[in-house]
Amino acid sequence: MLRDITLGQYYQADSVIHRLDPRTKLIMTFVYLISLFIFTDPYVYAAGLLFLVIALAMSRVPIKFMIKGLKPVWLIILLTSLMNIMFTDGEPLFQLWRFKVTAEGLQRAGFMAGRLILLVFGSNLMTLTTTPTRLTNALEALMKPLKFIHFPVHEIAMMMSIALRFIPLLVDETDKIMKAQLARGADFESGNLLKRTKAMVPVLVPLFISAFRRANDLAMAMEARCYHGGEGRTQMKPLKYKGRDYITFLLLVIYLALVVFLGHFLPGILG
Amino acid sequence: MSLIDIDKLTFEYIRRDEEGGVEGITTAVDDVSLKVHAGEFIAILGANGSGKSTLAKHINAMLLPTEGQVTVEGMDTTDEGLQLKIRKTAGMVFQNPDNQIIGQVVEEDVGFGPENLGVPTEKIIERVKKSLKAVGMYEYRKKDPGRLSGGQKQRVSIASVIAMHPKCIVFDEPTAMLDPGGRKEVIETAKQLNKEGITIILITHYMEEVTEADKVFVMSKGKVAMTGTPREVFSRVPELKELRLTVPEVTDLAWKLKEAGLDIPDGILTEDELVRSIKKEYSIRKN
Repeated sequence: MLRDITLGQYYQADSVIHRLDPRTKLIMTFVYLISLFIFTDPYVYAAGLLFLVIALAMSRVPIKFMIKGLKPVWLIILLTSLMNIMFTDGEPLFQLWRFKVTAEGLQRAGFMAGRLILLVFGSNLMTLTTTPTRLTNALEALMKPLKFIHFPVHEIAMMMSIALRFIPLLVDETDKIMKAQLARGADFESGNLLKRTKAMVPVLVPLFISAFRRANDLAMAMEARCYHGGEGRTQMKPLKYKGRDYITFLLLVIYLALVVFLGHFLPGILG
Repeated sequence: MSLIDIDKLTFEYIRRDEEGGVEGITTAVDDVSLKVHAGEFIAILGANGSGKSTLAKHINAMLLPTEGQVTVEGMDTTDEGLQLKIRKTAGMVFQNPDNQIIGQVVEEDVGFGPENLGVPTEKIIERVKKSLKAVGMYEYRKKDPGRLSGGQKQRVSIASVIAMHPKCIVFDEPTAMLDPGGRKEVIETAKQLNKEGITIILITHYMEEVTEADKVFVMSKGKVAMTGTPREVFSRVPELKELRLTVPEVTDLAWKLKEAGLDIPDGILTEDELVRSIKKEYSIRKN
């Protein structure tokens, strides 16, 4: 059961969005999220929604997966909406127990919920269409300028990809150790929180020892294969922008122009 | 000139107690000298703790001698500037298949070595393809290494070493964690590579894996206890047993038959040989 965990939430499909350079997707998502934070205009959200719907349709990710992604945040959405409804001043529409519900409140609640949903959908679309490895590569490539301030970009990316490689192994191992301890009469399920936490110690100690042993072995294997840091290293699959990436960047610029127009100039024109 | 020249190598490590004080010094390798020539298939045998792995790690500068000298193609392993070149010349396959695969996809792992060496992208792809084909794992190139069998994982590790174009590969107990099927896969691959001209140094405690080696070194307590061809070494069954090594079944049977009074030569390595000598003996007796 633990063996089949998937890291991240990659949805395998063959679409233009999947094939985009991970850097393009990372930049696109970043710009998209910022655009939603800067502007609070309903037209901007409409544009944002349109943009997202088009991208989603192109990605061939079923809408079901996007909605699943809302699971961890729906409580926050609900709470912020309620707060906005109850505590916004303005023309009271009706009284709900002690709270006045105002038109402004309802409007703001709607905005907030819409914004949160768009944020979650936007970032989920990226993680659903990009493998963790490609994301790591993109992060390394985009953070490269930080090398000038001696930020260990390559090392951090290497650490991330090794972690991704070893997490399933360690999960598997935890499973084995737990079974071994259960066979020796360990009890992980009864008792209060403190007792159950204490019961994990006999699992964590061997797990740590094994993790260190693995780290030692792996370091040796890497050294034996001439690993000596990022210097002078070439890449087997270097990231390369293709035509579709340039088109995406063009679309992103158009989206930005549209959003700035809708959010900044249109309210002025409408007075 | 020999490819690898180990001259009076001694390696000591200091055992420390919990406070970090010196508890004692263990001599893992004790005054060992041996030469390996290009193209040879060398086997180093020994029970656990005999120092065979420690010796192996000196060949690609993972460990440096306390005393003596190790040279690979004339390059001294203590010269830090040459270490990358030495590791490129003498690759290494380790025991645990899981702990030596770095990539998350088979082909990425094979590309790791060439990437470190700064090989240009197109060349890396070519090398990865060739190496995976050499070990028969090409059709698995896009697979997650975690889902392969032990023998397949070791073959990927071998491909990863081949991709660096080594002259010599040191196998440090590559089959210790594998089932019989996986063991056979790995040993067959090693033999195949030897035929293609790569020098192989196989470290193991499975005697039946070394019957085809050119030369066998048996280690005990940090020293080389026996040297010779497999036939020479395996004719000394009592000595091997004393060193806590089990000889191959056929050799053992032949030795027992001889002890029982049959006239069978020493150092039988294959079933065929045993059958032939028994037949010969039988026909002599009948006459």
